[in-house]
Amino acid sequence: MRTSDVIVIGGGLAGLTAAITAAGRGKKVTLMTSGAGTLAIGGGTIDILGYLEGSTPVKTPRSGLDNLPPEHPYSKVGALAVGEAVDFFLNICREEGFAYTGGLDRLQWLPTAIGTLKPSCLIPQTMDMAPVLAASHVVVAGFTRLKDYFPELIVKGLSKIAGYQKNYEQVMIDPGFTGGRDVTTLDIARWLDTIQGQQACREQLTKYIKPGTAVIIPPVLGSKPGYAVRDTLEGMLNCKFVESVILPTAITGLRLRAMLLNRAKKLGVTIMEQAHAAWAVQDGERVTAVVTSNIDRERSYNTEAVILATGGFFGGGIVAEPDNVREAVFNLPVAAPVDREDWGTLKLFTGSAQPFAKIGITVDSSLRPVDRDGRVLLTNVYVAGRNLGGYDYCLEKSGNGVALVSGYKAGLSC
Amino acid sequence: MKKHHYNPDSCTTCTACVVHCPVTQAVREFRGPKLAGPAGERFRLATDDYDAALEYCSNCKNCDISCPSRVPVSTLNMKARANYYKTHKQPFRDWMLSHSEQMAKMASLTPGLANMGMNNFLSKAVLKKLGISDKAPLPAYASQSFYKQFRKIKQQPQANKVVFYPGCFINYNQPEVGLDVVAVLQANQFEVIVPEEAVCCGSPLVVNGYLEEAEANARTNVGILAKYIEQGYPIITACTSCGLMLKQEYQELFELEDLDKVSSRIYDISEFLLELYDEGQLNTNFRKQTGNYLYHAPCHLRVQGIGKPSLELVRMLPGVEVTDADAGCCGISGNYGFKDDKYDIAMAVGSNLFETIKASGVTTVLSDCGTCRLQISHGAGVKTAHPISIVRAAYGK
Repeated sequence: MRTSDVIVIGGGLAGLTAAITAAGRGKKVTLMTSGAGTLAIGGGTIDILGYLEGSTPVKTPRSGLDNLPPEHPYSKVGALAVGEAVDFFLNICREEGFAYTGGLDRLQWLPTAIGTLKPSCLIPQTMDMAPVLAASHVVVAGFTRLKDYFPELIVKGLSKIAGYQKNYEQVMIDPGFTGGRDVTTLDIARWLDTIQGQQACREQLTKYIKPGTAVIIPPVLGSKPGYAVRDTLEGMLNCKFVESVILPTAITGLRLRAMLLNRAKKLGVTIMEQAHAAWAVQDGERVTAVVTSNIDRERSYNTEAVILATGGFFGGGIVAEPDNVREAVFNLPVAAPVDREDWGTLKLFTGSAQPFAKIGITVDSSLRPVDRDGRVLLTNVYVAGRNLGGYDYCLEKSGNGVALVSGYKAGLSC
Repeated sequence: MKKHHYNPDSCTTCTACVVHCPVTQAVREFRGPKLAGPAGERFRLATDDYDAALEYCSNCKNCDISCPSRVPVSTLNMKARANYYKTHKQPFRDWMLSHSEQMAKMASLTPGLANMGMNNFLSKAVLKKLGISDKAPLPAYASQSFYKQFRKIKQQPQANKVVFYPGCFINYNQPEVGLDVVAVLQANQFEVIVPEEAVCCGSPLVVNGYLEEAEANARTNVGILAKYIEQGYPIITACTSCGLMLKQEYQELFELEDLDKVSSRIYDISEFLLELYDEGQLNTNFRKQTGNYLYHAPCHLRVQGIGKPSLELVRMLPGVEVTDADAGCCGISGNYGFKDDKYDIAMAVGSNLFETIKASGVTTVLSDCGTCRLQISHGAGVKTAHPISIVRAAYGK
């Protein structure tokens, strides 16, 4: 009889982190995914905590942890686990040859495509703004036909921010693409993976580069996890590159996902694509098998434990129906305001959290789901990522941070 | 049970499909699955304008695999393509490639002659004229079809019976794979029934827009298979594209009676054997052999949501080392890579896999799909085998 020590449901950042953590402990892990998820198209930065309620920026992510309410996922697992998860992640990145930079004691302010700065915590080296801060001459590069990316917006926005008054110059690079479709950063990144692309880019940029120039560029420096493309271009042009934060599709997330998948596979995690977990077989308060429901039939997979990382409303892990809100696989209770009118606040830009954003599953300190009285509902199920309630990632800038920390904790608890 | 649904509005335009589409990566003329599929569908509701980029979709299903909203993107493309050909002339080349069963039936009358006829300079030039690449790895016909060879097998009678649906490729091109399936099932105390009255699953018809013919085939096959299922017999396939068509694409494309009943009883051969294992029924009297393989999971297996059963199975065999290539689509996607105007795209799509295989140093690659095996041999210059052949070898039969 085949069985897993743990089945992780969900292949986003929380699920992958949980699978890697558990497999690293010697567990036999099966990861069930349904679609590639938002990790593949997202920014790939690990925002731990940028703002508190009221849009107050934290001094450092670590100091912000002390000011969170008890129902926040970080408060549930404790600051120690947050620190461990950060170290765990940075270590994986280093070992996989795609080192991230940052830590809990410093906010990283990243340049966005609209010329604002966004707080983050753990970032790829290519997004570190230090070279821009150190430079007097900054080239802001865009690409011909790249959608939603305008260097002038970046120059206009950054020029207004203290510390960023630089000598800016704009340049458009033409990758010379033929064909009728829109150009995306992925197209450009794949072009820059090639020597021809790198050389063409160098030829078009070189006359703008002076000693000590920093170049702000959309995330296009290679489609694979690693810094080879950046290193080659910096060597060719003798300047520093900084990748900006853009709308999806951002290659930075694709690289992070590829790295984590590589890591999971090395650790022997079995990945089942298109395995739509639908319900579970239970023996009392223990789950003994996860049942997938595909178009042809249901299939049952035995397991000793389950990590639930299926996402929130957007990911389909939590489902809102006209008179009900529920978790999709185990039918776990979801803490939400009773009156739908209370799910949202109309004061959109006041810096207060949206109640609907905090809707999710309530858990104990080892991330097991609990009822209203704090009684554990399923003894071998652990919840990670956007399934969890009690935080507003949009307001806080904590989305990937909660995914990482809770994924790590769940992988340790199972 | 949750069904796939056709509402293009389930698409949130997140672009996960574009990121994971191998054809989009290979050719800039393709606008990508998101625009060709769900977005294009909205426009097609209002006008009969055709998006020429639609023809680039190979129906490899990586868009379906990556879609977080369970939109059957590739099937939307196939339906739109079929609609287009209702009012537009289609090349004879597409008819030829879609009717591989008829072509094979003709060829199997004189397979030697047919193969000789296919693989010479003159007929390659004729095929090229028709739009079939003279570089493509067209399969050779077997001297005797699987049906013919199966009839001669003296099976050990068993109380447990299963139905084996070989599909055209095994029947006409690689009957040895079908014989291996039968031997392995016999080694597990199953008697094998092969319904010769069944027809091509329709996969090559669907990708070239012959939906009505594909539906007729579906109706025939479902009618035949349903009768066996009523007797309690499971249906086994050993070609992942046939399996996918029978259990999934029929449901996405057609409204047929008994479809649910049939699709719920179709098993990939390796999946079937692993279920036996779970019940403690698998004959694990495996002989030690030596072999070092790479395994390539066909895209049409990955989209089924059953993991990689043959990889699990082969890993149980003593002495066999097997590594998951995990290097993406091979590019062939049924008959896509046979087309003259698609050959280079298919080779570009498969290049990552070919490089991975060459770098590994293995001499034989395992894969469950017949045309994947052709493309891998062609692109990487290695031998290939169906995993079930390695299982048969382990039984020493």
